[in-house]
Amino acid sequence: MGALDRIRVLDCSDPKGHFAGKLLAGLGADVIKIEPPGGDVGRTYGPFLDDRPGPERSLYWWHYGAGKRSVGLDLDSADGIELFLQLAADADVVLESCQPGRGRPFDPVTLSDHLPELIVLSLTPFGQTGPWRDHAWSDAVGLALGGPMGSCGYDNIPGTPPIRPTEHHAGHISGYFAATGVCAALYERQESGLGQHIDISMHECMGFTIESSAPWALYEQHPLIRQAGRHAGPQPTEPWQYPTSDGRLINIFGMPRSEASWLALVGFIQEHGMGPNLSDVELLDGRKRQLGLQQPTVAMMLADIAEFIAAHEAEEIYAGAQAAGAAWSIIRTPDECLADEHWRSRGFFIDVEHEERNRTVTFPGAPYILSETPWTHGVRAPMLGEHTAEILCGELGLGIDELGALIAAGVVR
Amino acid sequence: MTDSEPNPRPPLDGVRVIDFTWIVAGPTCTRLLGDLGAEVIRVENQQTLDSIRFGRPHPNGFDPPDSGAMFNWLDRNKRSITVNARHPDGLDLIKRLIRISDVLVENYSSRILENWGLSYEEQQAESPEIIYVSLSGFGHSGPQRDYSTWGPTAQALSGLTSMSGMPEAPEPAGWGYSYLDHMAGFTAAAAITAALRHRRETGQGQWIDLSQVETGMALTAPATLDFTVNGRRYRDTGNPPGNRSVWPQAAPHNTYPTAGDDNWIMITCTSDSEWEAFCEVSDHPHWRTDARFATLPARLRHQDELDENIGSWTAGQDGRALMQRLQSADVPAGVVQNGVDLVVSDPQMKAREWTVTRHHPVIGEHLTDGLQIRYSRTPAHRDLPGPELGEANQYVFGDLLGFSDDRIAELQLNGAMG
Repeated sequence: MGALDRIRVLDCSDPKGHFAGKLLAGLGADVIKIEPPGGDVGRTYGPFLDDRPGPERSLYWWHYGAGKRSVGLDLDSADGIELFLQLAADADVVLESCQPGRGRPFDPVTLSDHLPELIVLSLTPFGQTGPWRDHAWSDAVGLALGGPMGSCGYDNIPGTPPIRPTEHHAGHISGYFAATGVCAALYERQESGLGQHIDISMHECMGFTIESSAPWALYEQHPLIRQAGRHAGPQPTEPWQYPTSDGRLINIFGMPRSEASWLALVGFIQEHGMGPNLSDVELLDGRKRQLGLQQPTVAMMLADIAEFIAAHEAEEIYAGAQAAGAAWSIIRTPDECLADEHWRSRGFFIDVEHEERNRTVTFPGAPYILSETPWTHGVRAPMLGEHTAEILCGELGLGIDELGALIAAGVVR
Repeated sequence: MTDSEPNPRPPLDGVRVIDFTWIVAGPTCTRLLGDLGAEVIRVENQQTLDSIRFGRPHPNGFDPPDSGAMFNWLDRNKRSITVNARHPDGLDLIKRLIRISDVLVENYSSRILENWGLSYEEQQAESPEIIYVSLSGFGHSGPQRDYSTWGPTAQALSGLTSMSGMPEAPEPAGWGYSYLDHMAGFTAAAAITAALRHRRETGQGQWIDLSQVETGMALTAPATLDFTVNGRRYRDTGNPPGNRSVWPQAAPHNTYPTAGDDNWIMITCTSDSEWEAFCEVSDHPHWRTDARFATLPARLRHQDELDENIGSWTAGQDGRALMQRLQSADVPAGVVQNGVDLVVSDPQMKAREWTVTRHHPVIGEHLTDGLQIRYSRTPAHRDLPGPELGEANQYVFGDLLGFSDDRIAELQLNGAMG
């Protein structure tokens, strides 16, 4: 049983809400994805199975659609909206992502007023109000305007722009606010019996998610300098990423703070016959090892560390430094993570049956291990309209002839 | 809401959270819970104070432990008590607090609470329904549970760092801040609110074990699946792609320079209609009919020339005016803003009162930022400042736990409230 057992979510969102819906499905909710009869736009996002596009071949969809049921329904038609309202009357949550002035099929506030027990979540780029509320948007534009991208980029390659981390992170960031907002509203509803409307501006979600840029801006109006592979800061700081002998990179952030752990790290490096200057007595003082202050002692320390890293292989450095208590890491690509036995032993990567293709697919799994209400990937992502008859006829009571007529009219798929 | 109705209560009103968190990941979680109305009680210790209390800036002068702006920003809406968990009486205080609390969150290394005598089982002995959240780099199981991370090293291990950068650069740009500290905190908040709902339904608490690296790997799925399904490794195709978009396919999709020093605008056309609108509004309608740019496949093939042309056109133009001009034609475009832009000049943030002025006893008047989850009936709040160290000792030990003044004085003297 999931934590959101017996909670039904009608998810009419586009890619802005795909992750939010997936989080609710992972927590055990019955998420019904309302797709336009032509299919959700996410089905056109690659990569694709065997590199051949197709609505059932999108690996993006395989992930973000997993655990949801699909109903093809044209919300721009009167009959479609009528069916949607019938479904909504029996749902706990409606998730929508239409901008207020861009021709949305229903008004979320009116819907919320009409069904007082329903929780209606509007997850939109800029919220329900304000001069930008209807601005054209994409995930990358969201990361640019919202602040995260402004802190990312290169200080060591002149003239280069801020860099946008890839993979729909505006959706990821605001998806968590959406899921938390819904869960807290459900918790409150258990006592009050009442639903409500929730207005989430993705732009505002981005604005919190910029770490120290926020206090520097709120208190000092001081912008930070973006730097390659490390935190943006009020002043330039030393690099954290160093190349290894096998062509990879080690991130050395997390230098030991205590004397004992510093000596353990020095011991590990000196066992390999390197790092002579690390024995310098000045470095026994933790303050003399502190990064970010452009100290000569740190320059000396990092020169020895860089030389050591350049002469050794990444996995050996990673394991040795961690055993010595330093939180160093390898910069891995996503495919490299699968080989790490630690994640295997925790059951992070999971195998999901895609029976219709007679294959088992390995996915990244649970973002959290809940002891009593385990996260679930759910069944494989639905094919377009796979559950239309099951839900409209089996659960809503629509006659099979009526369904046929609606399909013929293009309202339902 | 009319005057005759009672004040609306936030959704987590009545939920009490024992907050053993520090740095950024855990406090991100408990800030959100505090905003949503939970009573969050930070348990602090004089010997190992949260270093964020000391970090810059200190707008009203350096006067730790209560003068730090970052702490006040991240730890608003919380209370603070001082307890030494290694002292038998201190451990007893914590156990008593567990009995009257709903959630315990911590983001220490994976054996710390166990060593104090506060394992999940020991917490359950005090309160069978407790919701315990352990948030660590590698989780509380597995061969590397004793490894540790900071945000940046977790990002590196998860794959996320490698997915941000320019294709020909010798190193990824990664993230210029601890993205996974925030995301792990949000992950914890989502799990906690779901677990609270489950507990109100069934009476059952639980243990939520979170690994910061796993929260990051969960965000890499399309690239991971390209490997597990298609056998393609991330770097096989020249990734990371800079500010271009591999999926969904889109061109133009990039940053372009605008007037001034280091100012940029992101322009993304994900459909032919957006591209056509862009050409119309850009004084270059002939780009539409140029064979190199007429279709998406052609634009993708000629992306270098496309970006060069657009960059020549944007250079020298005022970024905000250009954004408005493109938006008037419904082209997705936005200037790259930093934190200061969000606070000072963003009209959308202004219109929605993203910042408000609040008072802090040491820092004084200051701005605090927005509530991301806006409820129509049970609004969240941002009224309490970051707590001064130990400001809630009397409230928690006296009012909540019922200790006499004499006993509290004794606990202060014997080091239990250290």
